[in-house]
Amino acid sequence: MLRIRFHGRGGHGVKTASRIVGTAAFLSGFYAQDSPIYGAERRGAAVAAYTRIDTKPICERGAVAEPDLILVVDETLLADPAAGVRVGCEFASALLVNSGKEGTALATELRLPCPILTLDLTAVVLAVVGRGSAQSAVLGAAACALAGLGPLERVLEAVQRELVELGLEADEQARNLEAARRVYADLSAVPARPRLPASGQVELHRPTLAKGAASRPIILAVGNAAARHTGRWRVFRPVIDQEACTRCGVCFALCPDGAITLDERAYPVIDYENCKGCMMCYQECPVHCISERQEVQAW
Amino acid sequence: MKTKREFIHNLKELPRDELLAPGSPLCAGCGGLLALRLLLKALDGNVAVVNAAGCMTLLAVYPYTPLRTSWLYTTMGSAPAGAQGIRDALDVLIAKGRLPREEDLRVVVLAGDGATLDIGLSSLSGAIHRGLDFYYLCYDNEAFGNTGFQMSAASPYGSRTATSPATPLQAAGTLQQKKDLFEIWRSHHPPYAATLSTADPVDLVDKVRRATRLRGPKLFTALAVCPPGWGSAPSRGFEIAKLALDTGVWPLKEAIDGKVRHTYIPQRRRPLEEYLRTQRRFAHLFSPQRQEDVLHRMQQAVDAYWDEVQRHEMPPR
Repeated sequence: MLRIRFHGRGGHGVKTASRIVGTAAFLSGFYAQDSPIYGAERRGAAVAAYTRIDTKPICERGAVAEPDLILVVDETLLADPAAGVRVGCEFASALLVNSGKEGTALATELRLPCPILTLDLTAVVLAVVGRGSAQSAVLGAAACALAGLGPLERVLEAVQRELVELGLEADEQARNLEAARRVYADLSAVPARPRLPASGQVELHRPTLAKGAASRPIILAVGNAAARHTGRWRVFRPVIDQEACTRCGVCFALCPDGAITLDERAYPVIDYENCKGCMMCYQECPVHCISERQEVQAW
Repeated sequence: MKTKREFIHNLKELPRDELLAPGSPLCAGCGGLLALRLLLKALDGNVAVVNAAGCMTLLAVYPYTPLRTSWLYTTMGSAPAGAQGIRDALDVLIAKGRLPREEDLRVVVLAGDGATLDIGLSSLSGAIHRGLDFYYLCYDNEAFGNTGFQMSAASPYGSRTATSPATPLQAAGTLQQKKDLFEIWRSHHPPYAATLSTADPVDLVDKVRRATRLRGPKLFTALAVCPPGWGSAPSRGFEIAKLALDTGVWPLKEAIDGKVRHTYIPQRRRPLEEYLRTQRRFAHLFSPQRQEDVLHRMQQAVDAYWDEVQRHEMPPR
């Protein structure tokens, strides 16, 4: 069985990417299974999705703990233990990171026990598909290329089938297909190929439950969610020009997260640790004194 | 035309205190979260939030919470019953002298349209019938958003959801009509019921403040722009909520002891199409073919509503 794990943030399209690979494998005559994690699939939150491919029916279920391939859309996830990107990476024959950095530089930085590849998927998406678009097509194509699924036409058919299901317009589909074509071509020459191991043994184990006070889900702190630092979700950063600001209070009123506070002189201040980058403030500022800057790390 | 505001007149008067800290795992640009933030501002603390399962399930994920208030999590169908329990407990503690009266809490149910109109409707109906002294905020994103945007009883006719896709047999997507929550509430004779919009924070805060003077069920429903479910950029949340008001598809109104008053009457309504075109969930109405019959029916429903308002609330021209 071949196991592929995708990591990204909600909105990147990792679920669709896992489906693209599943569909491409299915069209190639394999058994395939794809699924996203369930429960926290928020736009911007750390999410994962899985694809399993085999020549016989797949009985294994749940999260992929021993992946043959790992694909990471957002390199900031590598530093987040809760995202679980490193889980089982010793089994992986490659870990692909969406990054403009050199793979070797990242390998030194991360010291992972598996080969690291980098490709700037975001640059491809921004150039070919457009701003604010999901990366499902390029990510799916990248996984197909690394897993050896092909030919290109079959992979593109899988991409198109999934995009049609999402209700994308014809021109959006065409741009995504073009981006997928480029990424597939870029990665087809990469030597790192996942091994095709025999099916692993599935072990069932009895869950151990804590008793009494230890198991009561009571939070005694108030407002401590700010420690989660959802600012990492951001693609664009809103920046307020205080000199042009008229202190009208619109950005303060409209920030869904309360990440904008007013200082003692009623000027708005953005909490960048937690601003998710919805950019409503940028969009609605009546005097246009909020600008946007693309974040370097995320995407 | 806007009615005169009683308690707050412009954004500069918006309370500075935040009862909702940033860092919740809700989506960027969540309209429901903004509605909750503004409602909590209007209530000035001393609140116990009773949360029905839904998108807001993830508001507090152990060991983190964005709320600077108390929070009780319940199943999808039982939040009003949970509110009854907290209200009763507070009343008993105060009566026995074990809790000072000034430490009393306002009990606020927080529920989505799915929990409100589908699974939790009987529990809510019972609580209003019993005259429970509580606040109810329905964040209406017009589907079961948390689980992947499946159809709810609040999904509008002509919208596409995960379980009502646009297909050759069902080209409109959702065929059912959205349940009228405001009228369901009003038929229960509560002291206060209102619709809210995040596009008018002053109106929202003013209404909540007005309701605090009344005893019994105080019921609010806010149109909650849902960027991932509706298929729109998070940055366009305000614009979409504003278009909902200006096209007349989401009327702003309140009912005090059953008497309805619109707090915003758009003098010249914009065509509904302008609102629909901002969201991918309505894209099938325009492409590959324009579904004239569906669009006409949707526009007619809005027009018929406002004709009725005109007859009852507006003086004849």
